[in-house]
Amino acid sequence: MGAGFWGQRRNRQLVMIACFLLPSLAIFFLYRILPLGWNVLLSFQFWSPLKPAEWAGFEHYVEMWSYDDVFWVALKNTLIFIAASPIAIAVSLGIALLVNSDLKGASVYRTIVFLSYPLMTVAVGIIWRWMYDERGGIINYALRASGLVDRPVGFLQDFDWALPSVIFAGIWQVVGFYMIILLTGLQSIPTNLYEAARIDGAPAHARFFRITLPMLRPSIFLCVVVGILNSFTSFDLVYVMTNGGPGHATELLITHIYKSAFEQRKFDYAAALTVVQFVLLLLLTFAANKAAGGNAGAVERD
Amino acid sequence: MAARTPRPLLLLRHAALWVVILPRDPHLFNFVDVWYLIPFPRYLVNSIVVSAIAVAGNVVLNALAGYALTRQFPGRRAVLALFLSCMLIPFQATIIPAYLITAKMGLLNTFFGLAFPLLSTIVCIFVFKAAFEAVPRSLIDAARIDGLPEWRIILRVLLPLSKPAIATNVILSFIWSWNNFLWPLLITASPASCRTWKTRPARCTRSRCWCSPRRSSCS
Repeated sequence: MGAGFWGQRRNRQLVMIACFLLPSLAIFFLYRILPLGWNVLLSFQFWSPLKPAEWAGFEHYVEMWSYDDVFWVALKNTLIFIAASPIAIAVSLGIALLVNSDLKGASVYRTIVFLSYPLMTVAVGIIWRWMYDERGGIINYALRASGLVDRPVGFLQDFDWALPSVIFAGIWQVVGFYMIILLTGLQSIPTNLYEAARIDGAPAHARFFRITLPMLRPSIFLCVVVGILNSFTSFDLVYVMTNGGPGHATELLITHIYKSAFEQRKFDYAAALTVVQFVLLLLLTFAANKAAGGNAGAVERD
Repeated sequence: MAARTPRPLLLLRHAALWVVILPRDPHLFNFVDVWYLIPFPRYLVNSIVVSAIAVAGNVVLNALAGYALTRQFPGRRAVLALFLSCMLIPFQATIIPAYLITAKMGLLNTFFGLAFPLLSTIVCIFVFKAAFEAVPRSLIDAARIDGLPEWRIILRVLLPLSKPAIATNVILSFIWSWNNFLWPLLITASPASCRTWKTRPARCTRSRCWCSPRRSSCS
């Protein structure tokens, strides 16, 4: 090396830039890229912590496809979970429109609605568990007090009610986040569009469907992607509220992955499950991108 | 019973009962009990230490990487593309190998192992990049003419001018590490020596142990 290399200012700067980037790159390599590759590799192997790896081919995928009933239940639940996000988006769009109007104290409502988002999901799960509780829960109390039901509903114990109940709690938590995204989208719509429409005599619903919705498309797309991702990140909520039960009624793919890997120690099989979910997520995201007119690239361009 | 009484009357009667929602003789003993039923201070300290490591690592590493990305160097576009594609990979999709890697490094049940994956976040790197790019070029040039070395330009010119970015990063990384659940759940599978505050209540309610002081083991 010597002074020749080090003497040049350009080289010194390159080394400095490399040193600056290296720690972050190392972390992302170690915890994003390497795991992704390892996941794929692991899914084609027979492997457990104390055994040497053996090539398995598509064995795990075959097992998943034809023998693992829980996988299909979990897949269905995950898709339902994702399919519920439009409801959350619609609700938050309504709230966003409300707090965006010159309602009195709109900023207070805005803060209150948003507050659910930075809450810990675990705490949210525990609180909702209490509210859903069969004996002491406030929801059952209210339902019985108003005479809607005669017997208490075991929301999280009932096979039919468990998944909607968990989804409802999930929607409750994410609505604040969606609302903020949609609100920034709403506020970036130029007001002269509305003025022009009003002068042209367009009724309110036409203004909403012809101006607001098209202009909100990028924000809505972002919400949809977050909703798709939520199927991954809702592990906390499901784990705390039902742990996949009763039976496997609220099992999501991510809880199935967790149980296979860390409770049954089937790391290889869980890796195959992870690959399936990741591919599913990518496909859905690309589909959402296509549906949004492919303008998600606008996010990446800058 | 609902069938016999006229419904509006019933509603009225129960409307009075809604007062039940308000706690009767409220007391603060639950807050005291927590300190005895679980090693609460320990969990709290664990959470704080892990979050502090994560926040410190985030601010330093993201500022460095963000600064590097404002400079021109060969392979810059490749690094940018790499970062952006890493954003696509949700952390939950990497838990199994991430766990195995952490185990290989001997970091299970350690503070550092808990904080490691959170040490740098791509979103915040871009926040820093944008903040640094917003600093007027002339200020940096002036500092350079005055003969400041590169690291002092960063410390004395760029960082003070990008305080909002630092604040954003501190808030976000703190929330992310404080609310993190899955990773601590995996990494602290064994004795409660190093379990963050968050994972504890969840495990406890699962086996309903936080109402009975005798059950000390929860998992």
